[in-house]
Amino acid sequence: MRRGMRQLARMAQRSPGRAGPLARVADRMPSGQGPRWLRAVLFIAAVMYPLVFGTGGITQLLEQIFTFGALAMSYDLLLGYTGILSFGHAMFFGTGAYAVAIGLNQGDGRLEGLLVGLAAGIAGSLVLSGIVAFLSLRVREAYFAMITLAVGQVLGVLAGSQALRAVTNAGDGLTVPVPDLLSGNLTLYDMCLALLALTAWALGRLVHSPVGDVLAAIRENAARAKSLGHPVVRFQTFVFAVSGVIATLAGAAFALAQSFVNTTVYDVAGVSLNVLLMVVIGGAGTLYGGLLGAALLLTAQTWFASVAGGAPWLREYMLAFGILYIVVVRFMPKGILGAFLHRRGHGRWRKSSDCKTSQI
Amino acid sequence: MSVALTLLLNGLANSALYFLMASGLTLIFGLLRVVNFAHGGFFVWGAYTGTFLASALHNLAASIAGGAAVGVLLGWLVERGLMRRLYGDATQQLLITMGVLMVLSELVRLIFGPNPISAPAPTSLGRSWVVNGVPLVAYEGFVILFGAAVFAILQGVLRGTRLGALIRAGVSNPELLAARGIPVRRVFTAVFAIGAGLAALAGGLSGPWFGAVTPDMGMDMQLTAFVIVVLGGLGSVGGSLLGSLVVGITTAIVSYFAPSLAVLAGVVVMALVLVVRPHGLMGQREVA
Repeated sequence: MRRGMRQLARMAQRSPGRAGPLARVADRMPSGQGPRWLRAVLFIAAVMYPLVFGTGGITQLLEQIFTFGALAMSYDLLLGYTGILSFGHAMFFGTGAYAVAIGLNQGDGRLEGLLVGLAAGIAGSLVLSGIVAFLSLRVREAYFAMITLAVGQVLGVLAGSQALRAVTNAGDGLTVPVPDLLSGNLTLYDMCLALLALTAWALGRLVHSPVGDVLAAIRENAARAKSLGHPVVRFQTFVFAVSGVIATLAGAAFALAQSFVNTTVYDVAGVSLNVLLMVVIGGAGTLYGGLLGAALLLTAQTWFASVAGGAPWLREYMLAFGILYIVVVRFMPKGILGAFLHRRGHGRWRKSSDCKTSQI
Repeated sequence: MSVALTLLLNGLANSALYFLMASGLTLIFGLLRVVNFAHGGFFVWGAYTGTFLASALHNLAASIAGGAAVGVLLGWLVERGLMRRLYGDATQQLLITMGVLMVLSELVRLIFGPNPISAPAPTSLGRSWVVNGVPLVAYEGFVILFGAAVFAILQGVLRGTRLGALIRAGVSNPELLAARGIPVRRVFTAVFAIGAGLAALAGGLSGPWFGAVTPDMGMDMQLTAFVIVVLGGLGSVGGSLLGSLVVGITTAIVSYFAPSLAVLAGVVVMALVLVVRPHGLMGQREVA
């Protein structure tokens, strides 16, 4: 993994496009990370919250937001930073969740079971991403979207099939025995938060590295990136694998936090399309937009579910999000966070425009 | 032997429905270069409209035609309202058609509820006979004949009419067509609406075929249609017929022996074909 990274980084540096205009545009583009102090404040607030207010309903919602936030960020690496569209991100999320659940069930809730399951899940996701990339990235973009959708659906059906009842408990789902080391609401909460923070840090490093510049070049114009000498398919496969591994970890954390897994972790509408909504509404290509989208959608879903008792039509909140999604795609392609950063960038541009023009 | 024949008939009826879905998808892709992720939405609207009209009018022809009309109308609206502004931006188009699918499915859920609604076959086609141990169901035969007729009509239109000539010309070079003074955008709209109508037609037929309609059936059908067009080669009507036959019959056989693995069968066949021919079975040849 590490060596592969370094190799890709070297390829990125060697390649002639590095110092080209695209790379410089990418440097100037709003990074989406926001000021460092804001991130630090949010992180400290998230750490402090359960210590002050205790664990309960809100921290459970926050755990979901953290795991789905990590998932959405990994998805944004694909969609927003590399410009490849997958409709089957649940294939990794579900694999991670099921791998951990099966490992812990077979290992009677011991830590070894968790580690073996996690390793198997990551290995499985790497193989899966390799196969899907090999089948679909060679041809055209649309194939990738269709094939990821189909593969995600198939895995969900497999997980629920009677043939695998001995391992997956079919449609009834698995209870996850959480190992002692991670037991306790606070520990699980901190684990989800740590996963999110690590994901944000690692992806931030990746997208602002030379590799990230090549990914932006592929997103803007794959044919041009290819003719500049970048091995486009290899970069796309690499990104798909990285994103898949992070999604696997998010799925594993989700399984532990919920301590229950069933076929909904593979659900197309529930995970793959939900994460698409989160990233697009929050802001594709901004990294933290996915987290914002996850917070928005999951909060709304929890709220609607609690209010829906009195008014059943409120359960149809997905319709509202579907319409919002279409409006965002059509009129605000950078999403909420992207539009905000764009405005801010505008202001800075105006302020700096009375300086020396040579800077532009 | 009788099992084999039963499965073959069952598979052919599946294939007929799949072909209606896949041919619309492939026509739209061939001309507009858009993979229409909203196709399942048109399908599910056709299915619900058909079921609703069948329970109100008790007339098969009217309910199927009504479903198809709703599909054409929806297709026209989506193309004029959303797609038209996004030609040339493939990712945006995929994203927006997926959004249309979500909204259409959720609307069905809102209006008709999340539970399956039973859709019995009309009494005139509800009969069945047993010949030499092979059960023949009237509705099955009707679906197969309907699929074959649509294929024949589609070929006739594509080869024998002015619209067909325009579509075939547009597939190979839309810019040249526009330069000749032909309103390509109107051809685009027509093809999108026809494709949506075909999907809704498949929906109207599939209600009685599956016995019930659910809001999720659009997504399931769409996945199968994707497998078929990828397998057969995007943009090729002949390819989608071949793909429909392969997937329809395979699904029938696998679901007889291992019902829970039926979805897997199509995807595995697709994967095997893609390893050998990345563009699908008939992807590189000219469109029929």
